[in-house]
Amino acid sequence: MNETNREGDTQVDVALIARWQRGDQRAATELVERHAQALARFAVTHGVRDGVDEIVQDTFVRAFNSIGSFRAESSLRTWLFTILKRLVLDRQRSERRQRNQVELEADHAVQEFNALDGMVADEALLRVRQAVDRLSPLQREVFTLRVTNGMPYSEIAMLVDSTEGACRVHYHNAMRAVKEYLSDD
Amino acid sequence: MTDCANVLMRDLLPEYAHGVLGADDTARVAAHLAACDACRAELALIGRVQDGLALGVRRVDVAAIVGALPAPLPAVPAVRAMPRRWVSRPVWQYAAAAGLVLVVGGGIVLRRAPDGASARVADSSYVGARLGTQASEAEPDVGITFGGGLSDLSLDDLQALLGQLDSVRTLPSTDPESMTPVIAINEGGMTQ
Repeated sequence: MNETNREGDTQVDVALIARWQRGDQRAATELVERHAQALARFAVTHGVRDGVDEIVQDTFVRAFNSIGSFRAESSLRTWLFTILKRLVLDRQRSERRQRNQVELEADHAVQEFNALDGMVADEALLRVRQAVDRLSPLQREVFTLRVTNGMPYSEIAMLVDSTEGACRVHYHNAMRAVKEYLSDD
Repeated sequence: MTDCANVLMRDLLPEYAHGVLGADDTARVAAHLAACDACRAELALIGRVQDGLALGVRRVDVAAIVGALPAPLPAVPAVRAMPRRWVSRPVWQYAAAAGLVLVVGGGIVLRRAPDGASARVADSSYVGARLGTQASEAEPDVGITFGGGLSDLSLDDLQALLGQLDSVRTLPSTDPESMTPVIAINEGGMTQ
């Protein structure tokens, strides 16, 4: 259906990886530019507030260290998301152990975001953000991957360890919940 | 906000928004959007969600990330095929293999010899230990004698040893005696 453009994207990434492996540093820059911002958004939707740059950087360092294990069975971005998600979970576990930061619950995330950004953010966008933050963690993950990255259900399913059908249901339930929240205005 | 009944079209909206659909699907979705208010509203909402989720996400410092990346591993040099050597093993390896066959074969033959001597001789270490002392002991069942270790033997010595092995009596001369107990009953009781 829509595989052509995605395959094209993957081929571009694979070609850039090959150029980097031959010593072309500009290829590394292009790869980072293509995916860094999406990784940062993904990290934020997973509750990362501080050190987003650091965790994105760690993701790229890990990925480039093991780039030989990337088989292009999924897109490079999905592979990077997988690495970042693991890093986020590791960090959250570490933080829980140290008790320096409580685990972010949905409501807590909304409050924290409001406190940080409420003064400068557009009110309507804040409402949208709140609507997304109120979703269950799995719904939020599926929804944001689909909406902010246009990721196909097949790759979302791999990322969240679920099935395509379940991800489709999560997406539509999330869309309905967001619409309902916004219609309450 | 009402939902469009065409779930297939709604499913394609996020990908349409990202421009990752193929040409055919893009045209179909565009045609549907032209006639469907609900899907146009949902597409607009998708755009707002993208903007909303981008709130508070600063631009990532690409240069810093690139600076932290590892250097690409040097390309692995191609392994040069070595020309095949038809005589690749030195002669001593063949000699060692032949000696090993002789020793193992001799051990098997000697293991079949009667009485306790056969079991002892089967152990090659015992052979080495026995060789120096055998001359002073009377061992009529085993007629193998030579001094020094196995590694000192020449091929002629080994052949001579093999010849002596042939003369060794390797099978028991008689069948083992019956172990069937015989029980006799006397008037005073039972004896075995």
